[in-house]
Amino acid sequence: MAGLSRDEALKRIQKGEKLDRADLKGIDLSQAKLVKAALERADLDGANLEGADLSNAALRRSSLREAYLVGVNLTGANLENADLEGAKLERANLAGTNLTRANLEGANLTGANLSGAMLSYAQLTGAKLGGANLADAVLTHAELDEAYLGGVSAAGARFSNASMAGANLEDAILRGAVLDEAVLHRVIARNADFTGASLVKTNFSGADLTGAKLGDADVRHATFARAQLAGAHLTGAKVAGLVGTGLPLGTIDVTWLDLSPAGDGTQRVENGVIPSVLTVGAVTQTVADQVRRRYFGRGDVLRNATLAFDAGAQVEIDSLFQNCTINVGVETELVIGPSGVLADCEIVGAGFITVHGKFFERHSPGIVGARKLMVSARGAVVSTVAQSDEATGFAFESGCQLRVKIIPPGQPGTQPAAKHEPRTSQERGNR
Amino acid sequence: MSDKSGLPTGKHTLVEEGTEFKGTMSSSCPIVVMGKVEGDVAGPVIHVTPSGVVAGVVKVKSLHSAGELAGEVEAETVQISGRVRDRTVIRARSLEVSLNVQKGGMQVVFGECELAIGDEPNKEAAVAAALAPPAPGATAAAPSDAKQAGGKAGSAAPAAESEEASKRRRGTQPPPS
Repeated sequence: MAGLSRDEALKRIQKGEKLDRADLKGIDLSQAKLVKAALERADLDGANLEGADLSNAALRRSSLREAYLVGVNLTGANLENADLEGAKLERANLAGTNLTRANLEGANLTGANLSGAMLSYAQLTGAKLGGANLADAVLTHAELDEAYLGGVSAAGARFSNASMAGANLEDAILRGAVLDEAVLHRVIARNADFTGASLVKTNFSGADLTGAKLGDADVRHATFARAQLAGAHLTGAKVAGLVGTGLPLGTIDVTWLDLSPAGDGTQRVENGVIPSVLTVGAVTQTVADQVRRRYFGRGDVLRNATLAFDAGAQVEIDSLFQNCTINVGVETELVIGPSGVLADCEIVGAGFITVHGKFFERHSPGIVGARKLMVSARGAVVSTVAQSDEATGFAFESGCQLRVKIIPPGQPGTQPAAKHEPRTSQERGNR
Repeated sequence: MSDKSGLPTGKHTLVEEGTEFKGTMSSSCPIVVMGKVEGDVAGPVIHVTPSGVVAGVVKVKSLHSAGELAGEVEAETVQISGRVRDRTVIRARSLEVSLNVQKGGMQVVFGECELAIGDEPNKEAAVAAALAPPAPGATAAAPSDAKQAGGKAGSAAPAAESEEASKRRRGTQPPPS
């Protein structure tokens, strides 16, 4: 199907014919009504679609490289895996559009409406998104390195694990957005508004956050090494585990910070402590971490014990535990080291469990409610795992040995074991 | 030969998206499932793409799935992301599932399923090894600094500080010239 004219193409689309895989390279369909057009895998490279109505169109895997799409209406369209490299999409309406895994490298989306659009894994390196509306858009794992996002409105948008190194976010509104584990290395975010945003483990190293609003933001375990924070607003930010700037702060606007590991406001710090938290935050936290760290060394044997570790504690076991119950708090890190063996044991609670050694359950389920279960190449687990309410995250390295049954939460027999008083006297080897 | 996404570029059996196959499939070349396959599948390698679904008994040497799996899987090596449905059993020599969803990474949603991977761990042997005295010259294991897993696991004990280095640190030994 080569080289359709505008009239032929319009006639066939209006008849409801599918133009999947059609060769429409360079075609002029400007201002055309193309609602629900079937154009999957079509070649529209260099096409002129200015002002066209492509709402709800099927454009999956289509090629629109360097296409002229200014003011186009693509609401509800499916552009999954489409190639839009270098496309001109200024002021385009892409509300609710599916652009998952689409290639938008170098595309111009200035002033576009991308509210609620799905852009997971999309390639947006060097794209221009100035003034775009990204409210509630999903950009998880998207690549936005060196992209221009100045003045975007992205309240409630999700950027978790996105790569945004060197991007420009000046004056961007990211209130309540989720940027967990995103890479914002060297980002320019002067006067950007991150109020109430989730920035857990976000990498802001070398970022320019001058005048940025980070009040009530969750920046636990975020990295701010060499970041500029002069004039930033930080009151109420959750900062446990934060890696500080290592630079003088200049004048900042902050009344208190929340140092509690769970980010629940139970450890407020004010005035004198704040500069050290933000500049050498890691040192401050290390002291706290060491206090909360438990290590059970090789050669120790613990039998018939019940242990409880509170939220945020770090526990490493290189000992032999037999017939023990371990109750862990929310996000407690429990590491069974390479020499650790937990035989006839159970682990209960919403912790992060890493197994380099061996775990054998006492009764089923032996692991209840873990947030994450990771087994390394040398690790072995023999257990039923009752998932947490939010579904347990699993990671298995090639080489691990597993006899694992995974069951959903709340199945019979998966109730957390009765919480016993911790036998802290038996917590030996405390570092 | 495979492309950037790991799919074979050479001769392969392809179940395209939108295609549903029911029955027994046996192939001597790699199988790529973008649609839906229900039944028994046998071949050297099977790739299930994000849009693919395989439900049934799968016997292959190597399985890579980013789609949906259900039923029984027997393979030498299994690499999965995507979704594992309820009542699925995976038996393999090796299984790889990554938690950190970085570029090109994977994430799996597990339904109710069973995983039998590698040799069966031996509890008695593990306990005996833990009770055995450390080998002469072996240093005691030290706590790991690798806090966030999902990355490469394994925590090497830091090398013991040499006596000289220790003295230098204490200021009792001049630095080497």
